[in-house]
Amino acid sequence: MSEVPDWGHAEPIERLDGEVAIVGVGEGDHSKASGRTHQEIAAQAIARALDDAGLEPADVDGLLYSGGMGAEFGEKEFHAHFGTSHRILAAPRGGGMVWAATAPAVAAEWLRRGEARHIVNVFAVSWATQRGEMIGGPGHFHAHERMKRHLEVPYGWFPQPVYFATIARRHMHQYGTRPEQLGAIAVACRRHANLHPGAVMREKTLTLEEYLARPMLFDPLRMEDCCLISDGGGAYVMSSFERARDLRPPLVVVEGVGDGRSHADVYWAEQGDFTATPQVFSAPAAFAMAGIRPRDVDVLALYDPFTIVALMQIEDMGFCAKGEGGAFVEGTALHFDGGKLPYNTHGGLLSHAYVLGISHVVELVRQLRGEAAAQVPGAEIAVYGGYTGAMASTLVLRRE
Amino acid sequence: MTVPFPIPDPDFEPTRPFFAGAARGELRIPRCRRCDRFQWYPPERCRACGSSQLEWVRTSGRGTLFSFAVVRRPLLKEFAPLVPFATGLVALAEDPAVRLVTRFVDCDLEQLRPDLPVRAVFRPLGYPQIAEWQTLVPFFTLA
Repeated sequence: MSEVPDWGHAEPIERLDGEVAIVGVGEGDHSKASGRTHQEIAAQAIARALDDAGLEPADVDGLLYSGGMGAEFGEKEFHAHFGTSHRILAAPRGGGMVWAATAPAVAAEWLRRGEARHIVNVFAVSWATQRGEMIGGPGHFHAHERMKRHLEVPYGWFPQPVYFATIARRHMHQYGTRPEQLGAIAVACRRHANLHPGAVMREKTLTLEEYLARPMLFDPLRMEDCCLISDGGGAYVMSSFERARDLRPPLVVVEGVGDGRSHADVYWAEQGDFTATPQVFSAPAAFAMAGIRPRDVDVLALYDPFTIVALMQIEDMGFCAKGEGGAFVEGTALHFDGGKLPYNTHGGLLSHAYVLGISHVVELVRQLRGEAAAQVPGAEIAVYGGYTGAMASTLVLRRE
Repeated sequence: MTVPFPIPDPDFEPTRPFFAGAARGELRIPRCRRCDRFQWYPPERCRACGSSQLEWVRTSGRGTLFSFAVVRRPLLKEFAPLVPFATGLVALAEDPAVRLVTRFVDCDLEQLRPDLPVRAVFRPLGYPQIAEWQTLVPFFTLA
């Protein structure tokens, strides 16, 4: 067992003993700029998730949503869209990114205390529509954060493609990671998106040769290493395992949740290990709770704003040794049909849609039910990894 | 409404000594008086020992190129006249855990490699569209 680094920790999470089940999943339509609001998309995703679970809007008595990023969808919005007025326990402790993995831990608290029976976690954005004005999109926070405004932006170190190109270069320098290895991640995602009916890049293929021929706009990253900007969203419904027995089979059970934190602030330049993520802390905690090892994972979905973020998480979660991620992902290693670690089987943020991880969890539930477009045969254990820089999270799901 | 280009405010207290030092051709970084550790980004208290006694000390202005990106597609219109440009991080000679964001100037972009020695040079930030903001800042070049 390697030594645990000292630059972060895992937040304590009460053990989930298979008491939370995911009983329904749904997505809003994913698209480029569509003119829709994020509330419309969120409501569409929730309606589809409830339909999937065989529940009505009036059955929802718990709601987890994003507390920021212009993606809020609380009880007021829920009632406005569904014409309901019943009591709903709602909190901005869910959504996408790292919270797409940790929302089930909040649901477990509520279910244990009997405060809710059917809990929705929802996330939706209309960033493609908003993009023309650069409002509320991923660069918005960074342009206005006061330290970044003084110590980063004036030098042209802005926004995310530049941060992650810098991280990728260091990873390449430190570990010998090569462009075709990052390319293998982008190509796997695109191939999966080509098979997925809801993917924004469904019609557009990408070969490794094409990837390598594309210009490095944020050298060493190409546009194909970067996520899309999309309108879209998703939702999943959680119920107690006991109650879930009466709902739609097969059951998908939450086996483990991890929440890793870096001790550094939100600035990438300050991170204790520039080429690692807090998955170093999160994944071991979640895997221990679930009683699994990395090799038990049948299908993996990672928050992948850039290829390098996926590569670092694959290493940090223990699927291979640190620095060996490049060799690990080469060729078709991540493909759904015969790859050693089927990964982002819906296409991920790179090729499905930039809905910040909520569709990753939706996809994993479909995989475990055997309903995915790029289905991994017999998938029983699925893992989602979320990331935001100073935080990372891990969710382990199992087919009952 | 679009996002205005975030011009640094030289009077913003947490970074004021940084820009005041640069105006005199000095690279100043806060260091804890109690435990002597350099701190970056500027904190209110020492991250190691919690002391509020931080002092901005003049450094050698030397370090190594930690990593960089070459930007060929500007994501803000203000960057457009600069492309292609190399921006990234320098690890400070006095304490390599201090990583400063900078732009690399006066060098062939093809020559840049991580871990090469670099030194600070002081230039006006000089965005063509923002003529009124000519405060000196530290850039870095290959040493």
